[in-house]
Parts: sequence; C-alpha cells; structure tokens
Amino acid sequence: MEIVVCVKPVPEAETRLRVAADGARLDAEGVKFVLAGYDESAVEQALLLKEAVAGSTVHAIALGPAPRTEEVLRAAVALGCDKASWIEVPSGGSDDPLDAARILAAAIRGLPHDLVLCGKQAGDDESGLVAGALAEALGVPGFGYVVDLRWDAARSRFTFHRAVESGQESWECPGPIVIGLQQAWNDPRTAKLPAILKSRKATITKIAASGAAASVATPEKFELPAPRTGAKMIEYRTPQEAAEKLVRILREDAKVFP
Amino acid sequence: MSRRTLVVGEVRQGHLADVSLEAAGRAIELTEPTAVVGFVAGSGAEAAAGEFARVGIADVRWTDAGSGSDASAGRIAPTVAALAREIEADLVIVGGTTFGRDLAGALAIRWDAVSATGVTDVRREAGAIHVRRPVFGGRATETRRLAGPRVVLALRPHAFAVPSVTPTTVRTSGFAFVEPAPSWREAKLLALEPAAAGGGPALADASIVVSGGRGVRAPENFRLVEELAASLGAAVGASRAVTDAGWRPGTFQVGQTGKAVSPQLYIAVGISGAIQHLVGMVSSRVIVAINSDPSAPIFRVADYGIVGDLFQIVPALTAEIRRVRGP
Ligand SMILES: Cc1cc2nc3c(=O)[nH]c(=O)nc-3n(C[C@H](O)[C@H](O)[C@H](O)COP(=O)(O)OP(=O)(O)OC[C@H]3O[C@@H](n4cnc5c(N)ncnc54)[C@H](O)[C@@H]3O)c2cc1C
Ligand SMILES: Nc1ncnc2c1ncn2[C@@H]1O[C@H](COP(=O)(O)O)[C@@H](O)[C@H]1O
Repeated sequence: MEIVVCVKPVPEAETRLRVAADGARLDAEGVKFVLAGYDESAVEQALLLKEAVAGSTVHAIALGPAPRTEEVLRAAVALGCDKASWIEVPSGGSDDPLDAARILAAAIRGLPHDLVLCGKQAGDDESGLVAGALAEALGVPGFGYVVDLRWDAARSRFTFHRAVESGQESWECPGPIVIGLQQAWNDPRTAKLPAILKSRKATITKIAASGAAASVATPEKFELPAPRTGAKMIEYRTPQEAAEKLVRILREDAKVFP
Repeated sequence: MSRRTLVVGEVRQGHLADVSLEAAGRAIELTEPTAVVGFVAGSGAEAAAGEFARVGIADVRWTDAGSGSDASAGRIAPTVAALAREIEADLVIVGGTTFGRDLAGALAIRWDAVSATGVTDVRREAGAIHVRRPVFGGRATETRRLAGPRVVLALRPHAFAVPSVTPTTVRTSGFAFVEPAPSWREAKLLALEPAAAGGGPALADASIVVSGGRGVRAPENFRLVEELAASLGAAVGASRAVTDAGWRPGTFQVGQTGKAVSPQLYIAVGISGAIQHLVGMVSSRVIVAINSDPSAPIFRVADYGIVGDLFQIVPALTAEIRRVRGP
C-alpha cells in the first residue's frame, strides 16, 4: 500500500505565544517548530498500516519554509517513514490552508497514493480544511474526524469510524481516499536515538510548488487573551455551602444557566 | 448590488440542526433575508427544508442526494457548488460540525472559494468578509480578511444564537443532485451508532460539559460526574486518564488527542489540568474546577475553583442544581 502522510511544522505545545510587530500574526522568532498533535497521530497511523500490510511504503510530505519543514520531515523519517518530500516555500508567504491544499494536491497527484493521511486539523491554524480540499482536488472520497482506520485485506478496502455530532459512523471505502485523522489505534511512538541520527542523513526530495492561485485571505490581527488571573476560589465550611455559592455565581454573575 | 448567501443545513433525527439555524441567523444579518437561500440534502431533506421558516428564510432547495442515501459532505459538495453558481451566491455559510468542516474544504476547491472555519465573529466591510476565530487550541484569536468573490464560512457551534424572528412561509423546491467523483460510489456508510445519552460525540456540540478525571478513582464512581451532568442537561467528558483506564470509551476524551470543546460552561472534576487536556477546553467561556489539590494547574485556567473532596462536593452540587432548577 502506498501511503502519503501530510505533516505541517507547528509551534511546540509549550510555546509562549507572542504577537508579531505587525499585530497580524504569530511572532515566529525563536519558536521551536515540531511534528505534533494530530499529525503525529497521522504518522503513527501510517506506520501501523505499513506494519499491517506487507510491502507498504510511507511517504511523508510537507509544505513550508526552511529550516522547520525539513526538520519535521526528518522527524517523520526518524519515526519510520520511508521517504520524505519537501515543497519549499519562502517564510512569510501565504499561510492560507487552501493554498497549502492546492499545492499539496498538485504534488500528490504525481506520487503513487492509495491513502493520503492528514491530521484532523493543524495545531496552529486549526482550520481542518486541508483533508476535504485535498480529496476534492484529487477527485477521491475524503473524510475528516476519523478514528480507528484499518485495512480489510480480504475485501481490499479501508474500514473506519468517525465522530459526528449525532454519534459515530462506520464506513468502508476502497482506496485511494483522503483521511483527516483524529486518533490512531495507538499512542504516537517516539523515535529512538539511532533512528534520529540516521534521519539526519536521509534524502529529502525537493518538489517545486505549483497549483496555488494568489491568496485572497490576509491575516489582520493576532490577539492573545488577557491572562487568566487564576480561579476565584470559593470559601466554604460545608459542601452544601460550596454548592450554594457556586450555583449562585453561575446563575447571577456568570449567567451560564437560568 | 447585493449577491446571495447560501446556508447549507444539516438534518439530524429528521430536523434541521441548531447549528444550521445559527448559520441561517448569521446569513440574515450579513445579507437581507430575501437574499438568503437555504439548502438541505439527504434522507428527510424535504421535510426538514420547511424548518428554515423558523428563522425567516423563505427560499429553500433540497436534494435526496441521489441513489445513495448518505449526505456526507464530500458527496454533496458538487451539488452545493452547482446551487451556489445557479443562485449567484458570493457566500456560503454552514455550521462548523464534522459535516460543515468537511464540506468547507471540498466546496472551497469545487467552487474556487476562500474559506475559514471555527468562526466566532463575522462582519462584512468594504466588500470583504472579516472573520475572527480561535487558533492554537484557544490560546490565541486571529482576524482574517477574506476578499471574495466567493467565500465559505463554517461557524463554531454555539458561538452564535439561534435568531428569534417572525417565521415566514417557505417555498421549497427540489434541486438536482450532482454526482461526485465516480470513486464515491464505493464509499459506504455502514452504520450510525447514536451518541450515548449525555456523553459521547454530542460533546463537541454541547453548551455545558462536565468532565471527570482520575480523581474519581474508579469506574463506578464516574456516575457522580454523570449525575452532575444530567442535572445540568450537560454532555459528559473525561480526561485521558479515564479513557486510557477504560472507565469510559475514548469518545468521551477531551484534549489534544480527543475532542476540542468550547461550551458556555466547563466543569472539571478531579482533573489535574495537564497541557494536553487544557488545549481541548481552555476556550470554554466559563471554567469551574473541583479538585482536592489547591496547587493543581487546572486552577490557573479556571474562573471559579472549589478546593475539596469531589466525593463530597459533587453530590452537594448536583442536589443544589436540582433544587434550583426543579427536577
Ligand atoms: C501525546 C499526549 C497526548 C495526550 N492527550 C491527552 C488528551 O487529549 N486529553 C487528556 O485529558 N490528557 C491527554 N494526555 C494525558 C495528560 O498528559 C494527563 O496525563 C491527563 O490529562 C491526566 O488526567 P487526569 O487529570 O484525570 O489525571 P491526574 O493528572 O492524575 O489528576 C487527577 C487529579 O484528581 C485530583 N483528585 C484526586 N482525588 C480527588 C478527590 N477525592 N477530590 C477531588 N480531586 C481529586 C488530584 O488532585 C489530581 O489533580 C496526553 C498525553 C500525551 C503525552
Ligand atoms: N503546509 C502543510 N504541509 C503538509 N501538510 C499540511 C500543511 N498544512 C496542512 N497540512 C495537513 O493538513 C492537516 C490539516 O490542516 P489544516 O486544514 O490547516 O487544519 C494537517 O494536520 C496536515 O496533515
């Protein structure tokens, strides 16, 4: 099975977010970018399927500027991806997920693919647009919010579940398909040191960017919430008193229920 | 000249979902009501189409989504694009659910549009749409300018109220289903397992969420959390400690590798507040934490805190809520 997994470099979860001088975007100065969140699960899912289906190849692909994009691709290789391709774009360029999707689609069209895996949403913009857009651009079925993706070898099709508001759907579909993954069967593995060292010398294939129109989405403002000052603690002598005070606050001050 | 806005509705249990009415309300505020067209697809679409009347939309189209009965987003995106072209829409609005987000991506490609999801605020100014949306797990908010000519918005569930307007009379008419890519023919929806009452996938959609963590100590004690949730009509969530231990299924998990929620009220019971949990709930409007450890990190993001034993506090709280709200 030919598996393509899309990975996006995103700021480490612990990053202290700061606003750039133009007030419109994240200040990326000194921020550490990593392979994280749902993309880590997407890589894990790709590797699990590779282990389950003999003869599979996992190809990691990323679009973004140097050096962060190359770094996440090496991280993907260290985890066990067989190949890595990098569509280099200048830093400070379009951050519109649909531009990313159009460019990724143009690249993936030229690669063998039975399955294209994306994260459900990227840890930074959280748009969740790329998987659906990629599927439409590639002319294949696409599904977001997927958990528990398996390959039914006897029937040559993928089976999976996905979370919808009214419950959980089960699906089957032959490839090629595009999946926006919420959760793999296992927790994402961590790379071993020898693999990390080896990944530093791995070949990263460069692919030229093509396929995006001039973006019409422009960032205007990036705001951080006023720091939460910590909880207002409820003083009480008995549990009943704590309950009464909290309920009064929720009704009268916070107005969260009548 | 004002162009038209298309609202794509979602049918749940035979009715138009609340998120769709919220989307309709937003559409009416951005355009005149007469320039808004509603649309629904799938089984039950024709009946649900009439419910757009509740929010003052008079012109509604529906399709039964062809031979297959499922109206998943990718399958109906070509139909939505065709309708948007036919009515000369410049804006499509949808509730930002699983369906809505999947639709936004596919439709943006099919209709050659720009798109934003998770939208919590939107205004039209100088010929462009400006949206506000939380990013980085609610740790920041961005504002983006989306210059047309075609824009698709998926609204964050419950960020907007269902409008109360005078109902109108609806004119519903069928719209021809446009076949998606041939490979969709083999995509089969096998089953829909309904959300467990009070818990499960309804989480992402709930306006109040009560979540329990390892502090509840044993699976049978989790009913304390569930009773509190029931008293509030809330959905039930859990930390990963709980889902990993198998006390509740994975669908209950809130956080980085679970669901992201942003209800009006989030109550964390016996949850320490690890960063991976926080990213899934920190954008909730009001956060309450109940924890025996005064230094638990959850108190740093909570608005209100009770330091105490959950086995005493939670039953008292459930009783008090039942008392004030009535049984
Ligand atoms: C890659 C990765 C992804 C992860 N994703 C998620 C995720 O999506 N969601 C998630 O939740 N976690 C996630 N985690 C796990 C996370 O790091 C924490 O381990 C987890 O959230 C802890 O759950 P907890 O707060 O229930 O348990 P604990 O951290 O053990 O906290 C239990 C709390 O209960 C309190 N307590 C104990 N007894 C009582 C009592 N009688 N009354 C009141 N309070 C009491 C304690 O003081 C303590 O604060 C992830 C971890 C990793 C590494
Ligand atoms: N620049 C990128 N390079 C590679 N993959 C990406 C990129 N942007 C988004 N993706 C993929 O699409 C998923 C969803 O991203 P988004 O739609 O931006 O929330 C991510 O989790 C990635 O798998």
